[in-house]
Amino acid sequence: MNSEYKQVKRMTTTGRIIHWANAISMVVAIITGLYIGHPYYQTFIADGAVDKYVMAWNRWGHFIVAIIFDVTSVVIAYLFFFSRFEKAYKKVIPTGKNIAQFIEVIINLATLNRRKKFDSTHSDSFNSVYFLIFHLLLAWMLLTGLQLYVSGLESGLSSIGKWWPWMLHISTDWTRGVCGGTIMDVRIVHHYTMWYIITWVVFHIYYQVWRTIFWKEADIAIVFGGSKFVKEK
Amino acid sequence: MSDRIEGVKKLFTSKSARVETNKGESYYLDLFEKCQTRLSELRASQPANRLDFSGLLNDNGIDRRDFMKWVSATTAMLMLPPMFSPLVAEAAELMNRAPVIWLELQDCAGNSEALLRSDGPKIDEIVLDIISLEYHETLQAASGFQAEKQLDEAIETFKGKFLLFVEGSIPMGMNGQYGTIGASGETFHDHLMRVSKDAAAVIAVGACATFGGIPAAAPNPTGAVGVMDVVKGKPLVNIPACPANPVNMVGVVMHYVLTGQLPELDSLLRPKFAFGYRIHDNCERRAHFDAGEYVEEWGDEGAKNNFCLYKMGCKGPMTFNNCSIVRYNEAVNWPIGVGRGCIGCSEPDFWDKYAYERPMANAKIKAPTGGVEKTVDEFGLGLLTAAGIGIGIHAIASAVGGKKDDGGEA
Repeated sequence: MNSEYKQVKRMTTTGRIIHWANAISMVVAIITGLYIGHPYYQTFIADGAVDKYVMAWNRWGHFIVAIIFDVTSVVIAYLFFFSRFEKAYKKVIPTGKNIAQFIEVIINLATLNRRKKFDSTHSDSFNSVYFLIFHLLLAWMLLTGLQLYVSGLESGLSSIGKWWPWMLHISTDWTRGVCGGTIMDVRIVHHYTMWYIITWVVFHIYYQVWRTIFWKEADIAIVFGGSKFVKEK
Repeated sequence: MSDRIEGVKKLFTSKSARVETNKGESYYLDLFEKCQTRLSELRASQPANRLDFSGLLNDNGIDRRDFMKWVSATTAMLMLPPMFSPLVAEAAELMNRAPVIWLELQDCAGNSEALLRSDGPKIDEIVLDIISLEYHETLQAASGFQAEKQLDEAIETFKGKFLLFVEGSIPMGMNGQYGTIGASGETFHDHLMRVSKDAAAVIAVGACATFGGIPAAAPNPTGAVGVMDVVKGKPLVNIPACPANPVNMVGVVMHYVLTGQLPELDSLLRPKFAFGYRIHDNCERRAHFDAGEYVEEWGDEGAKNNFCLYKMGCKGPMTFNNCSIVRYNEAVNWPIGVGRGCIGCSEPDFWDKYAYERPMANAKIKAPTGGVEKTVDEFGLGLLTAAGIGIGIHAIASAVGGKKDDGGEA
């Protein structure tokens, strides 16, 4: 290793596990979600209905990854404020320093790295805001998704008790009004949000690769090894 | 009377989505006594017409056994234990003590038609025949000033006691001038407000009266709204669907005659006994849904084998109604039973948001960007393409003119 570079730890093991759990969950959620919205492959007619269970398995997979999202979101929301490693929320508060850095990062991207006047050692304000947007989109997906889910628990019963549908009604019924009044609006919005998230992901991957190539600080390694490397000043 | 009002208020302020099917023995014993008292009061009162229920049943070839089957089914539908069956039977006979005024506003009269045009009147229709229909704009012989006089008399005689059935939406555009009625040219809105003022309760029947229905579909030229948007401070029940199922109308009237109260309602003021369940969960084709067996096009092998209609746009998974349980026309059949999907007619905004007869993901709807209608996926792919083009331009520009920090390399 070039001795001019120092190693900077940027992501904890927990953080990286959550990142990849989310990435895999998202791929599964999109594949199964598109099937639930509009079943795009057919099953063999020769089998009895009871043997196939294709839609049911798709919904099962969709709900399982939704639960993984649920749990990791709670963990991430907690770490956002209380992590001992990095207090991410401090980077999204619109202080003068953060706003200046936010603009500098955009200028860096727009000038194709010809101007780079900010410290890229630690998570910058632009990426922090960008990640926050992602988590808000994800939270919105969870709330609308749980609202769609609880509408099928109209008996008020569930295998884990009555508290579960009750809690879901309390916490997600408002999404109906926000989306436009009916359960169908919630469904439409849930589907739109998927496209926003996919678009988010596309830029996210591009931007991390771009940083790696042009900054030459091995940013892409953060999510695998947890560290990046910056020049000793 | 005051505790009755309190009871109605309580019903209308409880908005839980839960359907409580068993409220415990003491509740039912108490209710049983209340119903008995109520029925004996009704029996003592003067019937509003001389129609004889058992005579009508005989005339229509319905024997006692059929009637008792109907009584059991109705008792179960109202979520009452079997011991209430005799009371339900008695209430059916006493239906001619329930004065009803029926207003016909902006709609196709489909709900009245649903009652009238059955090939042979079944018990539900007969029960609705003998309710004391004091005034029905579509059915009555009277017209003009004569009709108005009849309405005034009915309101005066049954002040605070009659049930007001409303069919059709209320046009609010142009000061309500899109719909006027009677010799004096009263607008639908004023007409409804005047009559509802003295009603014991208002029962909005059909998709139009409940949520505006087809008249309120985009672009809603007449500014149509449902009854609950204009009538305030009155007990109100919504019985949506296009048309509303006579079974559910009977259920509500029966509940009122029996207990003097309106049934328990959900947050859209629909009786829970009818609208507490999703069509999807009691659908006879549900197994095919879970299996992934769908009708791909009309008349294909799947259609011949009663496969699920989800891909043909069935909205059963998002629609709350009891069609899949009670069906229509005395349980003869219902939309999914005849091989076409549910169009969600008992949900708000059904014409714009449910009835496009293809899966939601394939439906052309207004995109968030406005303009031409497209499917959600078309919009999403457009968004993704735009992002891809932007990224492509940036990537090429970076490759050509970007500056790499070459500090790490020799």
